[in-house]
Amino acid sequence: MEGEMLKGHLDMIVLAALAPGPAHGYAVIEEIRRKSGQAFDLPEGTIYPALHRLEQAGLLSSKWVTAESGRRRRVYTLTRQGSRALAERRAVWREFSDAIAGLLKGAPSGKPA
Amino acid sequence: MIEAYLEQFAATLSFDRALARRVVQEVEDHLRETIAADPARDRAQAERDAIAGFGEPRAFTVQFAAIALARRARRVGVAVVLAVLAVLAAMKARVAWYAAMQWSLSEEVRPLAARVLAVDRYAFWLAAVIGVGMLLYIGSRRARSVPDAAYRKQHRYAAYLCAAAMALLLVVVISDGVLTMLLLAGIELNARCAVPVIALTAEIVCVGAVIVMIGATIRRAGHIEALLKLQG
Repeated sequence: MEGEMLKGHLDMIVLAALAPGPAHGYAVIEEIRRKSGQAFDLPEGTIYPALHRLEQAGLLSSKWVTAESGRRRRVYTLTRQGSRALAERRAVWREFSDAIAGLLKGAPSGKPA
Repeated sequence: MIEAYLEQFAATLSFDRALARRVVQEVEDHLRETIAADPARDRAQAERDAIAGFGEPRAFTVQFAAIALARRARRVGVAVVLAVLAVLAAMKARVAWYAAMQWSLSEEVRPLAARVLAVDRYAFWLAAVIGVGMLLYIGSRRARSVPDAAYRKQHRYAAYLCAAAMALLLVVVISDGVLTMLLLAGIELNARCAVPVIALTAEIVCVGAVIVMIGATIRRAGHIEALLKLQG
C-alpha cells in the first residue's frame, strides 16, 4: 500500500497496534504488519516520531525496561486518553469507510433526499 | 556499520541531546532486534538490510524537530509559571518577616515606596496572567508531525508571551530590590536582615535561571529553523 496513503492515518494505526497491550517500537511495527496482513509496510523508522508525538500528546506513556537480551528498550502503553482517542477515531473511520464503500459500489449509502 | 548509522542519527538530532540519546537507544534496540529475528543470515548483509529498512536518519529530523520544539515550549511555559510562584513566595516570606520583626518604612521614603510598590504589584499580576495564558496557549496546541509555518508561528507567539512575562518579572525583582533597600536603610543592620536579602536572592536566581532557559530555547529554535531551511 502507498506510504503516502498510510501517513495520514499513522497515528490511528499506531494506537490500534498498541491496543492489545504495551509494546516497544519493533513489536509495534510487527503488530502493524501482522494485523494488516503485511499490506502496511512503512519504512520502519517512521513509527518512532509517531510514538514520540503521541506520547507528547498524552495518548501514550512510556518507560525503559530491560529486555531478556540485556538491552534497554522503551515500552509504550496506551493511556486512558489514548484509548478514548482510538475509540473516537475508529468510529469516524467506520463512518468514512461505509460512505466510501457505498460510493464505490455506485449505490447511495444515505437516505434519499 | 550499526555504530556508524547510530552516530549519523545522533548528529541529525544534535539540536536536542536528550532526545537524541533516547532515539539512538531506541533505534539501536530496533536494529539489533531486526537482525536477531533472522540469525541464520549473513551478519553484514543483515545489518545493511536492517539499516535500509529503517530509513535515512535525515528523513526523520523534521518530525523530531517538531517534537523537540513543542516539548521545549511546554517546559519554558511551566518554568515561567514556577518562577512567578517562586517570586510570590519570596515576596510573601519577606512581608511576613517584616511583620514578625515589626519593621516598617521610615516616613521620608514612604511616598517613593508606595509608587514602587504599585509598579511591583501591577507588573507581578500582569506577569502571572501572561505566564499562565502562555502555558494554556501552548498546552492547547495539537502536536503536529511537521513543524510547518503555522506551527512555527504559534511558537513565536508563545516566545513573545514568554519574553513579556519575564520582562515584567524582571521589573518585579528590581522593584523588590528597591523596596528591600528602602526598608533596610531605615533599620540597624544585623543578622536578621539576612532573611529579606536571601528571599531577594532567591527571586533573582529563579528569574535568572528562567531567562537562561529561554535563551537556550531561542538558540535551539534557531538551530532547528536553520536545519529545516537546509532540508528545504
